[in-house]
Amino acid sequence: MLIFDQLKKNDPQLRILAVLLLCGLFVLVAGLWWVQIVSSRDYQAHLDMQSFRTVRIPAVRGKILDRNGVALAENHPTYNVNLYLDELRKPFEDACSKEISRARAILKQQAEEKQRQLKRKLNKEERKQFTLSLRDRGALKQKARFDVASNVVAEISRRLGQPFSLDPINFQKHYEQSLALPLPIATNLTSRQIAVFSEQCTEQVGVDLSVQSTRFYPFGTTAGHLLGHLQKDDSSAEGEDAYFSYRLTDYRGVLGIEAGYDKELRGKAGVKSVVVNNLGYRQTENIWEAAQPGQNIVLTIDREVQRKAETALQVYGPVTRGACVVMDVQTGDILVMASSPTVNPNDSIQGYSDAEIERLRDPKLRPEINRATQDNYAPGSIFKTITGLACLEAGLDPNAMIYNPGYYQFSNKRSKPVKDLAAPGQYDFKKALMKSSNTYFIENGLKVGIEAIIRLGQRLHLGERIGLPTRQEAPGIFPNERTLRAGWYDGDTANICIGQGKMAVTPLQMAVMISAIANGGKVLWPRLVDRIETIDPTSTAPPVIFEKGRVRDNLGVRQRSLQIVREAMLADVEEGGTGSKAFIEGLDIGGKTGTAQVMDAHNRTIADTVWFASFAPYERPRWAVIVMIETDVNAGSGGSTCAPIAKKIYQALLDRERGTTNHVERVAQAH
Amino acid sequence: MFSGFLSESQSRIDKLQIAALCGLMLLGMAFVYSATMVTEAANSAPWYNQIWVRQIFWYLVGLGAATVVCLINYHTLARWALVLYWGNVLLLALVLVFGSVRFGARRWFDLGFFSLQPSEFAKLAFILAQAHFLSRPEEEVRSPIIFWQSIGLMILPFLFIMKEPDLGSALVLIPTGLAIMFAAGTPKRYLLWLGGGVGILAALFLVDILFAPPGWWTIKLEDYQRQRLLVYFGASFAPRNASPADKIKAAEQERTKSYQVRQALISVGTGGLLGKGWHQGNQTALGFLPPGAAHNDFIFSVIAEEKGFVGSIVVLTLYGVILFTGLRIAGHARDRLGKLMAVGVVALLFSHVFINIGMNIRIVPVTGIPLPLLSYGGSSVLGSLIAMGMLQNVYIYRKAY
Repeated sequence: MLIFDQLKKNDPQLRILAVLLLCGLFVLVAGLWWVQIVSSRDYQAHLDMQSFRTVRIPAVRGKILDRNGVALAENHPTYNVNLYLDELRKPFEDACSKEISRARAILKQQAEEKQRQLKRKLNKEERKQFTLSLRDRGALKQKARFDVASNVVAEISRRLGQPFSLDPINFQKHYEQSLALPLPIATNLTSRQIAVFSEQCTEQVGVDLSVQSTRFYPFGTTAGHLLGHLQKDDSSAEGEDAYFSYRLTDYRGVLGIEAGYDKELRGKAGVKSVVVNNLGYRQTENIWEAAQPGQNIVLTIDREVQRKAETALQVYGPVTRGACVVMDVQTGDILVMASSPTVNPNDSIQGYSDAEIERLRDPKLRPEINRATQDNYAPGSIFKTITGLACLEAGLDPNAMIYNPGYYQFSNKRSKPVKDLAAPGQYDFKKALMKSSNTYFIENGLKVGIEAIIRLGQRLHLGERIGLPTRQEAPGIFPNERTLRAGWYDGDTANICIGQGKMAVTPLQMAVMISAIANGGKVLWPRLVDRIETIDPTSTAPPVIFEKGRVRDNLGVRQRSLQIVREAMLADVEEGGTGSKAFIEGLDIGGKTGTAQVMDAHNRTIADTVWFASFAPYERPRWAVIVMIETDVNAGSGGSTCAPIAKKIYQALLDRERGTTNHVERVAQAH
Repeated sequence: MFSGFLSESQSRIDKLQIAALCGLMLLGMAFVYSATMVTEAANSAPWYNQIWVRQIFWYLVGLGAATVVCLINYHTLARWALVLYWGNVLLLALVLVFGSVRFGARRWFDLGFFSLQPSEFAKLAFILAQAHFLSRPEEEVRSPIIFWQSIGLMILPFLFIMKEPDLGSALVLIPTGLAIMFAAGTPKRYLLWLGGGVGILAALFLVDILFAPPGWWTIKLEDYQRQRLLVYFGASFAPRNASPADKIKAAEQERTKSYQVRQALISVGTGGLLGKGWHQGNQTALGFLPPGAAHNDFIFSVIAEEKGFVGSIVVLTLYGVILFTGLRIAGHARDRLGKLMAVGVVALLFSHVFINIGMNIRIVPVTGIPLPLLSYGGSSVLGSLIAMGMLQNVYIYRKAY
């Protein structure tokens, strides 16, 4: 190299200096190589950590629709006013410096005062008292920032005509912990306030409207139990990033369909990255990953009928305790599933009032229980249909007469006789079912034996859960071989024959039972969800459709036996039986009433459970309608309390039928 | 083909060095712009108040001053060496009394439009005086009296600058002075003794700062100086017998104090091989590199962040060209005075470059000294360009025209 060649001629000192220079430069190059090439990735991680904040953005929750596409749960926009602290940075700084210089001026004055008093200059120690410490400055800055922010809030309050307040502690907390996020100061604006804001407040620095998607149940309590409710939960779902700097409010379904299909409804949360500066103020932001909206769940429920059924159910007003279920006997579709007292899922979003909390805690009302599926009830006489089937299968002649003296006396004379509300006299099968004679069914039931009845009950899967997605399910109670072995008496069998004693069911199980009688013996899986739809219009994925009329089991009885039971049930409604109050002109209904006593620990009757289980139309059955009410002792009966409710429900189903056909005709004409 | 261009006999000035100099000034302009034009306030300021425009202004003034220096034969300059030296020492003394205080140090004369930092010029005056003093015949230089006198010449401005306090500027005087003495032929054993002595003193000093048990006598340093050293060596701020609460507080303090170094390192490190592109670095834009320091002492981290390892190497190459052409000038100087002046300037520039870049990548502790020709600052730019003028002067008058 030229330079070195020339240095060679010169003195050795310069050469040594040149070597030293070269070494120095080499050290720098090596250092730079280490920092910029070898450890570059570590520093990039540092940089990301200090200048990026990730925010979890919840996806828009899918809707829950009824079978006709009416939204039972949807989202509507709510408008909030947010304070953007990064835009207030300049006013903050100005206010801070003003505040500090004012404090300094005061301190200076005090120091001069002191000097005049002492008549000498202050020494270093004394001067320290009159200087602002770092902590004082921090406090002053904090105060100045809060003043600026609360002035803005006051101005917005004045314009919108509603007092919003800013809490200094909350404000400081937000400033320290989530500076990169906007601070909401007013939520849920009215439409008038939104208009005022967009007209008058847009020039105000540091505030802006934000839209938030809020869960909304347009029909309030309608199907409230079935829909379930949400709970605030912003944790990461499976398959999401686990770490976020901030999370925006999100909800998770904890009960009902909202819980059972939470994964589908919830969608996939997105990620927003916010670039912050050295003080943590937001600089820019961009969406890294957009949130994917959740899917829609289409139920088999018919909103219109559901609403009418709920109204009809409340025979004792809002404190009525009961449930009704309407099931399509061919497909298993649940058209109605109602429970009273009702709950309003909107409360889970908007907050519960004190009175509502009190009501929800009432140990007798227990409004949160979905009585259609979530509690065990003795079926009472409606179970005589199954006892009857078992007897007929065992060869009972339906025309054979049995004398009913008004009670049933066991062969063991020490046992207490069972009272029979049916008048004394001769009973054949039809009359016995119509008049709900205990004597007839106990006597015949004891003849065929408990095993035959249990066999049918097991084919109906009594005492087993269905596996509903709502997470509101009681399995019921039903004897099996094991319970028999553990000790079983004729009295127990007699009780089972009339749907009491060591068994309990849910109204939904009864709907399955009546459907099986009506449809020729098929025990169906109840179907609550018709399909899962993707909202994304560009998605080519086909919707998930759940199969209709899935058969779970078969009663395995002769059609003739079923026909005899159905005939007797028809007679119960149409020929002056216990269910005659369900009678509707033009619709043949087969029904069976029931009244079960609820016993306490001392075998005293403390309440009644009254039932009406039915199907219609008789010739080509389509619907099974089950109504159950909890009443005080002797305050009601299946025939007088439940049958009229069932009648209203059938009326609603018929109206719906006509309405839909009319609608179809209208649509056809319009085309 | 370069031989013709590079051959020094063809031209009166060292063109290669001038080219490197121009390259550095262009870089300085571009990156002072990049480091400062990040806020709205900076962008909306009138053009004449924008820092990069001011930097250009100082380049122009500096080039003018360098030209003037070139025109006067360095022998004439050397005749005024002692006057300039004592004048500067006087200024250093005055600044301790009348100077304005910034960041806790009294280093500047506030002239309204411009803050004059006398230490920048004192370094040059020292080089001139030392070179002049040691330009006597080599036999005389070997005598211990001359040795001690030249040490005294070095210590006097050193102490004044230390007092400001400006440890960085004071420290660069030592390698500069030693280099001149070495080139002048001061016996090696003196220098070894001196070097050894300074080394032992420095070691004792560090041991005292870092490991002294509480209650012992410690060297009195400004708090920030002590903390910078502690940051560099990663030692705890808390005394050994501190309570846990104090230790937490000290750790917090340590975190804030090491902030600048950490941010500079992050800037340099995230530059990677090619950098983020000019004006694309977000360390300054987001304010992580303190806005007051980015265009000053930390200009190198801005360049390294935006232009990466390649940019850093370009900067180092340009400095390398200047330094080696400087040594070549020393080799071709007509006399001992010229040689020693050139060696002094090269040593001064090298010390600045090494310490400044070294502190950006944490191989030397943070000391507030500028990167010659790149950092923003009137005194620094002026001083550096005048130094370059001195080099060229030695080159121009290498033959008795």
